[in-house]
Amino acid sequence: MDKSRRSFLKTSGAGLALFTVAPRTAFGKMGGNNNYIAPSDQLTRGIIGVGGIGMSSNHFVSDQNCRLVALCDVDSKHLDNAVSKAKEKLDETPKTYHDFRELIHDADVDIVHIATPPHWHALMACEAANAGKDVFCEKPMTRTIGEGKRVKEAVKRNGTIFRLNTWFRFKDTFYGLGTTVEPLKKLVDSGLLGWPLTVRISGATGFAWKFYWTGKENLIPQPVPECLDYDMWLGPAPYKPYNPHRVHQTFRGYWDYDGGGLGDMGQHYIDPVQYFLGKDNDFPVKVEVDAPQQHPDAIGIWRSITYTYADGCKIILEGEGFESSGKVPYIEGPLGKVYKGFECTIPNVQELINEMPDPEPRNTDYLECVKTRRHFALNEENGYHSATIVNMGVCALRLGRTLNFDPKTQLFIGDDAANLLIDQPMRGEWGKMLK
Amino acid sequence: MKKTISIILAIFASAVLVFGQDARQRTVSTIVSDVLALMPIQTADELQSEITSLAAAAPQSVELLASQLQAPEKGVNNKIEYAINALANFACAPGNEKYKDAVKQGFKKAAEAAADPVAKAFLETQIRLLSPEDEPKPEVENATAKELLARAKALAKSDNRNDLCESMYLYDKVLGKDNLKNVLKALKSDNRSYRVTALDYAEKYADEAFIGKLVSKYNKLSDGAKVDVLNWLGDNKVKAATDLFISQFANGGEIADAAIEAAGKTGGRKAARALIDILGTDKDAAAMKALKSFPKSLTREVEIALGHADGQKLESLLSLASGKRMKNCADKVFELAGSNESALKALAGVVSSDDFGKIAGLLDKASDAQVPAYAKALQAALSKMVPEAKYATVLNAIENANNKERFFPALASSNTDQAVDYLANAYNDGNQAALKALTKVQNLKALKPLLKAANDGDETSYYSYITLCNGLIGDPDEKCAKIASALANAKKPELVIPTLNILAGIPTAQAFQLASNYLDDKATAITAAGAVKNIASKCVDVLDAAKTKEALGKAFDIYQKRGEADDEYACKELKKMIDAIQEPSPIYELTADEQKQGFELLFDGTNLDKWVGNKEGYRISNNCIYVTAGYGNGGNLYTEKEYKDFVFRFEFAFARPGANNGVGVRTPMGVDAAYDGMCEVQILDHDDPIYEGLNAYQVHGSVYGVIPAKRIVHKPLGEWSCEEIRVQGNHVTVTVNGEVILDGDVKEACQGHNVAPDGSNVNPYTVDHRNHPGMFNETGHVGFLGHGAGVEIRNVRILDLNAKTAKKGRK
Repeated sequence: MDKSRRSFLKTSGAGLALFTVAPRTAFGKMGGNNNYIAPSDQLTRGIIGVGGIGMSSNHFVSDQNCRLVALCDVDSKHLDNAVSKAKEKLDETPKTYHDFRELIHDADVDIVHIATPPHWHALMACEAANAGKDVFCEKPMTRTIGEGKRVKEAVKRNGTIFRLNTWFRFKDTFYGLGTTVEPLKKLVDSGLLGWPLTVRISGATGFAWKFYWTGKENLIPQPVPECLDYDMWLGPAPYKPYNPHRVHQTFRGYWDYDGGGLGDMGQHYIDPVQYFLGKDNDFPVKVEVDAPQQHPDAIGIWRSITYTYADGCKIILEGEGFESSGKVPYIEGPLGKVYKGFECTIPNVQELINEMPDPEPRNTDYLECVKTRRHFALNEENGYHSATIVNMGVCALRLGRTLNFDPKTQLFIGDDAANLLIDQPMRGEWGKMLK
Repeated sequence: MKKTISIILAIFASAVLVFGQDARQRTVSTIVSDVLALMPIQTADELQSEITSLAAAAPQSVELLASQLQAPEKGVNNKIEYAINALANFACAPGNEKYKDAVKQGFKKAAEAAADPVAKAFLETQIRLLSPEDEPKPEVENATAKELLARAKALAKSDNRNDLCESMYLYDKVLGKDNLKNVLKALKSDNRSYRVTALDYAEKYADEAFIGKLVSKYNKLSDGAKVDVLNWLGDNKVKAATDLFISQFANGGEIADAAIEAAGKTGGRKAARALIDILGTDKDAAAMKALKSFPKSLTREVEIALGHADGQKLESLLSLASGKRMKNCADKVFELAGSNESALKALAGVVSSDDFGKIAGLLDKASDAQVPAYAKALQAALSKMVPEAKYATVLNAIENANNKERFFPALASSNTDQAVDYLANAYNDGNQAALKALTKVQNLKALKPLLKAANDGDETSYYSYITLCNGLIGDPDEKCAKIASALANAKKPELVIPTLNILAGIPTAQAFQLASNYLDDKATAITAAGAVKNIASKCVDVLDAAKTKEALGKAFDIYQKRGEADDEYACKELKKMIDAIQEPSPIYELTADEQKQGFELLFDGTNLDKWVGNKEGYRISNNCIYVTAGYGNGGNLYTEKEYKDFVFRFEFAFARPGANNGVGVRTPMGVDAAYDGMCEVQILDHDDPIYEGLNAYQVHGSVYGVIPAKRIVHKPLGEWSCEEIRVQGNHVTVTVNGEVILDGDVKEACQGHNVAPDGSNVNPYTVDHRNHPGMFNETGHVGFLGHGAGVEIRNVRILDLNAKTAKKGRK
């Protein structure tokens, strides 16, 4: 096993990608109905990480358009559970892998679905892109700003179709707003609210930051369970003695793997804001935090995080228990405000919005994008931007100070230490994999 | 081993030295232990000052601090980790360069000395933050342009997607704009990724010449490449390609779809007309999608097209006109509405206020089937009027109409008091259409008729009632009370569940109590569990510990039993909340001294037996009296006995910011003690910003309106203060936490004029210029006077100075 891993490390990208043109294995159980899609026209998917979101009813699916053919996890219990669920609910017998690289390089897999903790996202996405696979990646896109750049680069060089999985910029009721983001986008674009705008993402406007994703200090080392390959779970993360609170559902509370509630929900909440503010090609120039002192390992709570763009637009995150009181606008501009439930100070706003053109159509069918090679609505580019907003907040929280950001160089200004957080070392051989 | 010992010795040798730069002249070890005691600190400013001392004492302070790190098995490192992290963050911050070297030196020595590998690794991550210059430089590709081009050329021959895309990446890097020719070449490839990627690279360099070439080569391309080119032209909104787009509408399948989408994104009059032309054909759906998001207004084009359209095309045009509120199409739509059902439905989207009279006439005469559409159009015509104008306009129409009820919804849409009165009267006369209209009205006056109908079993009225309460009542206590009065009669789960969801957003003790009543019923349990969890997490009131523990425990069980994906989080949250519930206050006894003096316990935490009055608004919670009673709402709480001269002692705490109450002195029951009693001694969280304009005679401890007290700063919310009020003759003394804040004679304060000598109600002798007719009452009750929720009271005792039992220093 070890030997094959090393060989993967050495032979990157191009050579291995030849597998993609190899003939596909034919699968049985194809009914004789009119919707029949020949196996060679079907897309296939493998999931890495089947202990959390990978098992959600949205993702643990298999149908004629896209078959679920492979699963990977470093916890054998997760894997066993997923296999029996696949048999039971999907009538499928996917191949199973312990090492994600083997799943990625499986010639039968077209789309690699990354559903691991965020400290793995960049390595896996790059490996998949280099191997000629398309990538469906759970949020947050990456754990650091630098890793986001690498993913963007790998996707671009390889012509990969990348989808970051959060979706409020193009569908579903957007939390406290009681509406999709579309009418907000129309209203903002119309200029009726004026400019610049301040967006407040807070319990008071219908958004929860999930502060139960905080870590524990003074974790006592415990024996690693038989079923878990802890070394492979940690992967690029620094070695720290095992404690069950570090892994699986509670990993979000530790800086080494994620960013707490901000990491978990940040891109969900901020990405649609980036969209309706028209900031998909921009970055904030400043991030300020108001928070208690942070522990270097276990993530704590915060009171507020404020992002400012060069044109004066602001995104303010308010932590649980520190929400503004009174009637708090979600969007506030010099000419009008929008509250929870899309209540607006502009009279007849709904009628005015109806008169406006709908936002430009976007490509929101990922499988269709894989076929036509068009960029998905939320891709490596705008996804990198909203992930960077989240990660700027993480850097400012960890350092406990205001940081200034240069959108051009995508580096912090005048703060060498903050720039060290943009790229963080990876443990052992893993660092060499990200080139 | 030797080395370790010598380092430790060195550390301790320096630790006992007084550190010169420390303003408080502390030793290094004191600085370190002082900082550790404070970890973690809540604000950045506070942290800054503490860590500055620590950094100024580096490297010794750093070594000393780090030497205290123990093996993780001990589970004791968190404070040291906080401090070390804060120190590294401080020393790496811009402006703190002067501390950097010493701190780094300290970390380096500490890392060398660290025995535990985890501690060592931790220290090394901190050193990294302080050593940007040591960071390995990223590898730079140093191939020459020639080499890169050769590589690109070779890769371009591959049939593999990655290789082809990589070749385009390299070409772009070396050739820049000159790569455009390779982009055109790539379009001949049958690899779609390659074509699309190549076009991506053209984006930043594309000029007229390139577009020209692209369009001229278009016809020679494969169908797949045609689609890619159309997509690209559309995404980049290339106006010059409009004719190309239009020419491709007639094509089949993917090409036409791509051309239609591109034309829609690019815009322009010509594209608009062409898209409208294909409405009603098999491209109708694609064209509609493009037209709905068409970047410019289409009012003129649609109006013209409406003049000569039929079938599906007419349907689509009507849907566009109505959806985009094209008022200019109103005449045409009116013309069609009588005979065309789609036009009738579209009417609401195109009418304006000028059309009101016309629609009113049509509505009155309409067939039953047409009524909903005309009624909707009528409301749309009203939409831009102010409420009063809406009301007057509709009322006028009603007076002239035969079918008056058809106008009720429009009347309701004015949301005016008059409209509610009109509809409520009609409902009282038995008109069900009026009730239906009332369920749509946004006005609190509708609550009364809605509650009546809800209690009579009308479910729509019930939903409207609770929704209205939730939407329009700001005060949480009032909102909750109003909702409670409807909920009392609601039995069906489908009524209770939405009510619980509303209660979940009301952070008060009453809402908690109401919601917890539904935890045991299977049909409502999970909703009630969500509600109690939500309320308890945000509650502004003090909740009774025992009841809260019970209710949250039940909620925990309910979530655990259901066990859906997110329920585990809910359980975790509940567990945290249950663990955080504070123990109730103790049961009080008199102190030995008070016993000696003859004090009587009026409230020890267990019962209100010695009290009369409002025991609903003054409930026992956590062995305290928790006040929820509002001003004049349900009454006050009074001592059973009456007193003349006395010493009244109690403890109070504010649970809500700005909480307000008062102690009534020598007062009859059921009157305003500040005027009709001898006086009211104010209890007020005057530190809350809402009291910015407070008069001096209103601050905490004042004899309200008569003698101002010295303004104190209250303890934080939830912390207890002790108060004593001594009343003897006309003399009042108020002591809070041992400090006398008022000591005065009410008679002297108003120069004997408790009421205006001229018999008017303006009294120049009192500071509030009001009459205080009860001031010279001989005797009366002592009472707590509610002005809203949020005050806690405990340990209440009194010494009756006139009673024979009152002893002075009896041995």
